[in-house]
Amino acid sequence: MSELEFVSPVASGPLSAAGGGISLEDVSDRTKVLVRAGRDTAAGTHLKVTYGRSRRRRDGALICGSRPDEWTLLADPGQGTELLASLPDEGFVSVVDITHGRAMFRLSGLDTVGVLAKVCNIDLTDDMTPDGAVFSGSVAKVTCDLVRNDLADRRSYLVSCERSFGAYLFAAIADACSEFGIDVPADLTIH
Amino acid sequence: MSSHRLPIRSSELIDRSTSLSFTWNGRAYVGHEGDTIASALAAAGVEVFSRGMKYHRRRGILTANHWDPNLSVQVGDEPNVRAGSRRLVDGMQVSAQNVWPSLRWDLGTANRLVGRFLSVGFYYKTFMRPQFLWHNLYQRILRKFAPGGRVNWKTGTHGEYDKRYAHPDVLVAGGGPAGVAAALSAAEAGASVMLVEQEPELGGHLRWGGPDDLAVLADLRQAVYSTPAIEVLCDSIVTGRYDHNWVAVLQRSHEVAPERLIKARVGSLIVAPGLVERPYVFAGNDIPGVMLAGAVRRLINLWAVKPGSRAVVLSANSEGDAAVLDLESAGVEVVAVLDARAGEDVVEARGRGRVSSVQTGDGRILRADLLVTATGWTAPTSLLNMAGDRPVYDKVAARYFPQALPDNVLATGGIAGDGSTTELTAHGRETGLLAAQRALRLRHDRRAQTPRSPAPESDRPAAIADSRIPLRRSPHPECYRSTTHGLVDYSEDVSSKDLIQAAGEGFDSIELMKRYTTVTMGPGQGKLETVNAAAVLAEAMAVEMADIGTTVWRPPFSPVSLGALAGRIFEPVRRSALQDWHEANGATNLLAGQWVRPDHYGDPMAEASNVRENVGLIDVTPLGKLDLRGPDVANLLDLVYVNRWQKLEVGRVRYGAMVAEDGVVSDDGVTGRLAEDHYLMTTTSSGAGAVWEMLEDWLQTYRPDWEVHVTPVTGGLTSINVAGPRSRELLERLVDNVDLSADAFPYFSVRTGIVAGVADCIIWRIGFTGELSYEVHVPSGHALHVWESLLSNGSDLGVAPFGIEAQRILRLEKGHYIVGQDTDGLSKAPTAGLDGLVRLDKADTIGLPELRAAFERTDLPVLVGLQPDDPTIVPDEACQIVEAGSNQILGRVTSSRMSPTLERSICLAQVDPSLAAAGTSVTVQLVDGRRITATVQEHHAHVDPEGARQRV
Repeated sequence: MSELEFVSPVASGPLSAAGGGISLEDVSDRTKVLVRAGRDTAAGTHLKVTYGRSRRRRDGALICGSRPDEWTLLADPGQGTELLASLPDEGFVSVVDITHGRAMFRLSGLDTVGVLAKVCNIDLTDDMTPDGAVFSGSVAKVTCDLVRNDLADRRSYLVSCERSFGAYLFAAIADACSEFGIDVPADLTIH
Repeated sequence: MSSHRLPIRSSELIDRSTSLSFTWNGRAYVGHEGDTIASALAAAGVEVFSRGMKYHRRRGILTANHWDPNLSVQVGDEPNVRAGSRRLVDGMQVSAQNVWPSLRWDLGTANRLVGRFLSVGFYYKTFMRPQFLWHNLYQRILRKFAPGGRVNWKTGTHGEYDKRYAHPDVLVAGGGPAGVAAALSAAEAGASVMLVEQEPELGGHLRWGGPDDLAVLADLRQAVYSTPAIEVLCDSIVTGRYDHNWVAVLQRSHEVAPERLIKARVGSLIVAPGLVERPYVFAGNDIPGVMLAGAVRRLINLWAVKPGSRAVVLSANSEGDAAVLDLESAGVEVVAVLDARAGEDVVEARGRGRVSSVQTGDGRILRADLLVTATGWTAPTSLLNMAGDRPVYDKVAARYFPQALPDNVLATGGIAGDGSTTELTAHGRETGLLAAQRALRLRHDRRAQTPRSPAPESDRPAAIADSRIPLRRSPHPECYRSTTHGLVDYSEDVSSKDLIQAAGEGFDSIELMKRYTTVTMGPGQGKLETVNAAAVLAEAMAVEMADIGTTVWRPPFSPVSLGALAGRIFEPVRRSALQDWHEANGATNLLAGQWVRPDHYGDPMAEASNVRENVGLIDVTPLGKLDLRGPDVANLLDLVYVNRWQKLEVGRVRYGAMVAEDGVVSDDGVTGRLAEDHYLMTTTSSGAGAVWEMLEDWLQTYRPDWEVHVTPVTGGLTSINVAGPRSRELLERLVDNVDLSADAFPYFSVRTGIVAGVADCIIWRIGFTGELSYEVHVPSGHALHVWESLLSNGSDLGVAPFGIEAQRILRLEKGHYIVGQDTDGLSKAPTAGLDGLVRLDKADTIGLPELRAAFERTDLPVLVGLQPDDPTIVPDEACQIVEAGSNQILGRVTSSRMSPTLERSICLAQVDPSLAAAGTSVTVQLVDGRRITATVQEHHAHVDPEGARQRV
């Protein structure tokens, strides 16, 4: 249904600090596909990413080792069919398009660690959580999957959660960003 | 008012070019940037800052820092502000606490008239009888005398508090010379460091020292602030150390919040809080003008305040000796220096609002307005206690020292021993190096064990032994109490006489004495009082101090505001893809667990009637949805549901109920088979998470050989129930590739198709309302389009949205029970009427033994349909069903509503099995006490029990 507009759970546009230290953008429309398969299956071999790490495939899809024997593939909007078709299906493999089921945000800039430290208890230092790291954690009390996915040397994280929490979580992260210069719109409130 | 401000001091913190206006008890004052509230007032000649808690005696500056028990004040609407450390801010409105009508004329002083009755344990002894007066009289009066300021929660202007997390390799608690040196060496060794200092600036005692001290301090500060690996938090305090070095830090005066709680997971904790100077116990030791040596040194050197005119100094150590020099340099006449090391003593200070004379141990009466004591130190070992240490008393040094610490906690500085600045910083550096080495080993291990972290490039750092040369323990006289009695606890007004009396009454253990007398239980939490209390008890018991032991210091180290503990309040809220539409179209919301949902759109009765007559739409997205894939799904369903699942055909749907291992009904829902190895399970809205966890638990631990993948898809599929006699007609206008006729798509079937142009929609022919209905699961990004298409295409069919309240009416008319409302934590399958569903001959089902036992019982409550005989009365849910003529409880109403279809009240109820037969009359006790009769119905369903309306 490419002609239909994907309606995100977040109504707000991108937010950024004047100094460029932090920006927050809703990217919920990105294609997200969940793959569960044993590592000895063709799909597991094809994905080539271990739990906790990620890599960019030649077609641009980001393959994330979300959990043991579980991967999340992230791609541009509308790539669901292509992504599904790209995966070998021999053996016991489950492939679920979760594009509509997950909200996702990109948090970028020098102050990302400071922002996330207000809502998430994960150690984000470079040696513990380098570029490419994939991990799960509580963000403002919502269970989230996170990927450190730097953009041209600009520190950046993808934060995704169950779709229904999306509006709340975007507001909560925006609230945390306010200390670092983002002017949060009045309608983005966590209370 | 006279000025006590001295000429410029080389170490002063104040900026004389600034003037900050503030008020004290309504009167205007001026201070400088860098002043504390207390220093600004002292500079203006204020001598009395508070009143004692019990006897309301006047109180002045004692320690002139954060721990000063006499300097708790109200600032605006913030109570209990430490005026000894809180920096002055322009416009502050400062007032005294716990006085009435004023600090100068306080009626609380009347307590002194009955002082001899206010002895230790007064509360326990006095307010015992008559018991009924406790609530009605005693408590109210006692509250009037409760110390502390006032919180005006209606007009509070504090704004938001805050929290954050941190993961430093090394956290140093204390920014004195040893702490700063430790932080520097830890950072040089490659560790990330958080350095926490409770004062607004680093330096500890160096700040009020001589030129050499100030030079060392300048070097240390320059080094720290030019080291990026060190995060410096001044005006902050470590309030607790918990298991696995989880350390709580309270950061004050942050730009985004008045207080911020930092939760730090620390590799190594270095405890370097320095020492706390302790008061001396003698008659009149709480009269304004009696100060500790550290207080006068701080007042003179940091804030250029002259603390008095004529001073007597009792000195047992170098701090007292240095205070003499400082006093003289400030132009204070030192009348006498009494050397406690040589046995000289003070027995009494006299004066009303201020010290006027001092009586010495040899009987002299000296005219003075300032009595300075320097009689020893308390090691604030709280953080060490929290790490499991029980410090031991050293009689020669007259203070406590650490005994045995875990590897990830180290002590340095005054708490560990004595030394020159050079010796203290050297010890600090060695401690920092050791702490960093241990923390980096830990970090190496964590990296090696954490999947997201790359393997460490280097080998694990080698363990190094603790080869630090211990700091020495300088001899110090045991100066605790003179020959007279005085206050031990300034916050609680507990005297040495009280403690001796308590010991005489049998409270002769330090822990018992603490609780009986409340000594050390005030805001200072024993910083000034603990050692003196132990000494007085030792004296009373005629034993050595070392035999007395200590009380256990628990978190927090320093009082923490409730706002800081609360921090930012995160309360996640879940919204369906249609929630914005609901709110824009007049919905009244309901919070159901974490979900915000439309309760109704104005008239729930009309909404329900419209479903019975036309067609309605309801957003049921919170319904739990789990995507199940794999060849063993049927086995899994057989295990978790009480009924059979092996023969469910593709395209068919079956209802299932779950019980827990104790046989209690835990969840229910329908599951459809979408393809050979692909099912979609629905659960209750509140049970979705628990059911998912339960399924994963079974698959990962008990049945790892089963091939089933479970994926939660609740939010990804927006669920729209289309209900009513015209629902098929409406859907036929929008569904492209599914035959909706009754024959092709019978009740309890499921299809996948295109709805309003949206592919991959799942259409269920099921319902909760008792009407012909379809539940359409739409990919959520397109849900609004489908919802609006249904509304726009069904306007001629009378389509309208309905909310949760209308659905509750409709489902009750139909007699559908809700797990958790019509069942409870004791309801087993027979109670819920699952007799026809349960298969006791299955090989395995969770809770099967309990199910079998339950069906052999005849005493379990039974869920029944119930109708009040007076159709206008709707009993509240949870009203009890009682035996007529007695109060014996025989059941309760679990659901009740007025039925718009029947135009009468209807209920579901759990009743004793003796009342379960149709036609039985029961008695219902209403909330207002009235009793009504009601009749048990043949079916749970009040409307269409045969199901004719939904099977068309």
